[in-house]
Amino acid sequence: MIASILKVLLFPGLLFLGVYSFVLEFVDRKVYARMQNRKGPPWYQPLADMLKLVGKKVILPNNAQKFVFAALPTVSLTAVVTAFLCAPVWGMQAVTAYEGDLVAVLYLLSIPTLCHFLAGYNSHEVYSTIGAFRTLTQMFAYEVPLFMAFLSPAILAGSWSITGIAAFYAARPLYVLINLPAFLIALLTSQSKLERAPFDAPEAETEIVGGALVEYSGRYLAYFRATAVSELTVMASVIAGVFLPFFTGNGAVDFALYLVKTFAVVLVMVLLRATMARIRIDQTLKFFWSVLTPVAIAQMILNLLLRGGLGL
Amino acid sequence: MGLLDKAIAWGEKKSPWIIHFNAGACNGCDIEVVDALTPQYDLERLGILQQGSPRHADVLVCTGAVTLQTRDRLKQIYDQMSTPKFVIAVGTCACTGGIFDSCYCVTGGIDTIIPVDAYIPGCAVRPEAIIDAVSKLLASLDRKEGKRE
Ligand code: SF4
Repeated sequence: MIASILKVLLFPGLLFLGVYSFVLEFVDRKVYARMQNRKGPPWYQPLADMLKLVGKKVILPNNAQKFVFAALPTVSLTAVVTAFLCAPVWGMQAVTAYEGDLVAVLYLLSIPTLCHFLAGYNSHEVYSTIGAFRTLTQMFAYEVPLFMAFLSPAILAGSWSITGIAAFYAARPLYVLINLPAFLIALLTSQSKLERAPFDAPEAETEIVGGALVEYSGRYLAYFRATAVSELTVMASVIAGVFLPFFTGNGAVDFALYLVKTFAVVLVMVLLRATMARIRIDQTLKFFWSVLTPVAIAQMILNLLLRGGLGL
Repeated sequence: MGLLDKAIAWGEKKSPWIIHFNAGACNGCDIEVVDALTPQYDLERLGILQQGSPRHADVLVCTGAVTLQTRDRLKQIYDQMSTPKFVIAVGTCACTGGIFDSCYCVTGGIDTIIPVDAYIPGCAVRPEAIIDAVSKLLASLDRKEGKRE
């Protein structure tokens, strides 16, 4: 009992998520800076940003509904942190694993997006409202290919839990190659879920000042930032568990492999962010619906057929 | 001062987010501010990030003399920022009104409307001067804290 509580609170649970998210945010910003031939921020930068925001005064807009305004950041952070408990970190076994946790994680990861939308809508400000509606529009664009991309490997593995999928592919590593298109779609849709360039139209600070979070300040803004970085960590962990399931069976070695895998995923995401300019929201919609969704459907059908054909 | 307060004060010094406002500059100083934000000068190594919304920013970087047109807006943007907040006046015009002083439509320097923490003279200022001013402002926070203790 105490061991499992410690697992949830310390490692590989909340404390680890917090520390590792700071590390990944630093890697993200540092690599981004190096790609622009800059020196980049010092290692303690994410921590300094967070502490400063916590110390600043919170301003509640007059015409926003105060309770909702204050509750949304906490709700979205909680959802992301809960989702992390289903991702395998130490070895193949996640802290909590049950049949269907992949779907639960994907839905939990939708909550921050909805909170963003509500936050923008509730702020009653022109820019934040535009940002909120762009967030929602973008969500309609990526949600379908995202779900299909993550569920295709699950169909082939015949299991709906991340741990089960990891176990299936760890036994048959070559099958991973079948899911390559789904892996690419998962990377692109995660990029868009995290609202990072080239899909950062919802928070374009050069045109709509910063999107849905325009009115947020102080520690509520800090919670939203923490949500964004932990979402990056959770996405990278889930992608590592579902699409890169290489395990040795030894807990410590697997943990090192987990770090390598998540770093690799984050590096690819930084590469995307650093090399591409922002595309318009309608172009995002068009790209997701007319390119990624058909590929995701094809992948799903292929996996269904293979599941029958390979006699799994 | 508790440990948390110390940590927050440390974070304050290490992560000044800025927002840039043109109160009526000839655009010369604005170009230099933008220049300072380019990868060439890399302000992110001091933790400086540019923000779009005044609610997110800590430092208001103002250029130009205050005109009757921008006077209320400058005040409004300053009021929208959450405390603790700082103001840097960039360029001779922002410091005193410069060559536009006592024009029919000019109120004067930035400090005629809102309190200013650092002045950078120059027409136009160099990006190096802006970086120097920001780091001096951060260092002065250090001293203020020393006095408080
Ligand atoms: S100080 Fe010089 S460059 Fe700057 S706004 Fe005034 S006139 Fe223009």
